[in-house]
Amino acid sequence: MNTTPSEYEIHAYVDGRLDESRRKAVEFYLARNPERAEQVRAWQRDAQQLRAQLSGLDLPDNPALDPGYIRARRHGQLRVRWAAAAVVLLTLSIGGVGGWEARGLGQSAIEPPMADALQAHRMFAPDKGSRLDVVYRRNSDMQAWLDSHFERAPRLPALDASGFLPVGARLLATAAGPAAMVFYEDRQGDTISFYVRPPSAAGVLHRGHRQEGNLVAEYGSENGYSYAVVSHADTRDQEIVRNALHTLT
Amino acid sequence: MHIREPAIAMSNHAVDDQLRQILPRLRRFAHWLTKGAGGADDLVQSTLERALSRWTTRRDDEALRAWLFSILYRLFLDKRRRSRRYAAALERLQSGDQPAHPSVEREVVAQSALEALQRLLPEQRSLLLWVSVEGLSYQEIADILEVPMGTVMSRLSRARAALRSLCEGETATPNIRLLK
Repeated sequence: MNTTPSEYEIHAYVDGRLDESRRKAVEFYLARNPERAEQVRAWQRDAQQLRAQLSGLDLPDNPALDPGYIRARRHGQLRVRWAAAAVVLLTLSIGGVGGWEARGLGQSAIEPPMADALQAHRMFAPDKGSRLDVVYRRNSDMQAWLDSHFERAPRLPALDASGFLPVGARLLATAAGPAAMVFYEDRQGDTISFYVRPPSAAGVLHRGHRQEGNLVAEYGSENGYSYAVVSHADTRDQEIVRNALHTLT
Repeated sequence: MHIREPAIAMSNHAVDDQLRQILPRLRRFAHWLTKGAGGADDLVQSTLERALSRWTTRRDDEALRAWLFSILYRLFLDKRRRSRRYAAALERLQSGDQPAHPSVEREVVAQSALEALQRLLPEQRSLLLWVSVEGLSYQEIADILEVPMGTVMSRLSRARAALRSLCEGETATPNIRLLK
């Protein structure tokens, strides 16, 4: 009768994966083969040691590995293609509004600085029911998202002290390159947005602000990007934006 | 009554939660597979990206954990192959990256099983991690490596013997006769 265990049985014995009767059979065999028994015991000790030493490993948290984050990022990358369609719409809208304003105000038809930021805010602010690409409630998560899309991305303005917390963001494609718009809301539902994209053909923007209807944009250039912070044109919100930008630079 | 639903019907949230549960094991495996060098988290990130993009093609009966390990292992091998081709093109020897064969360094006694593990070939390292630490079934490992079960068993014997010899500073030649 063949009582020599197979290779499979030896390993399954080491790993505690044999049923009772086979386990006993292997033990019976090992009792009569001390050399093999010694090897099997050593293998068991090695396995235990590996388990013990490896379970102690404490890798630091890495938020970039969270499946939700990776999914959102992936989604964002897919959305960039769709954003190409949005830019057409955006350009058309700016053209339309610009033209109307030019007639109304008697100004030249040259596009005013960061007109696309104001336009994007109008079209995509979450209170208009527009869909966001990503939804983050923490500044750090939002910054990480921005960093993943833009090299040396600018720091987001710190608006939380004033009660404005991030709600989400959207990617857009513009004539100047990819753009992101990050939205913040306070408890009253006021919206402030941070818009960033590469500089337009006109080049680096000097710090400035511009009101358009009930919205105001504070804009400027930093680190090779042009940015604008768009808010309601009321004293409180404007003050908050100016303070945040002050700490930004 | 339990009705098995297709993987595709799972909500994104449920999928993410499942992945989150396995994430620490995946990271741990990647960490030791890459010998604790940098790049482990990148490997995990690529694994998750691939898993999410291929989620709907995943076979229903496939254990999620084994599936993820298999994606990660393939990505690791691909990356290694690429870097080797690159190295060959540069006619540069990758002595540092070349896993030491146990017999070459037999005079060096590893301080711990962990240290010994890091000197094994990547496949042997993976085998021992899957079996001893992650508790994958032999069949799952056979599926990952795309080899028959018997091959897994003989490779496992070699891996265990190699680890042992590194711990003892002996030669890699196992002094036991393995029976077929």
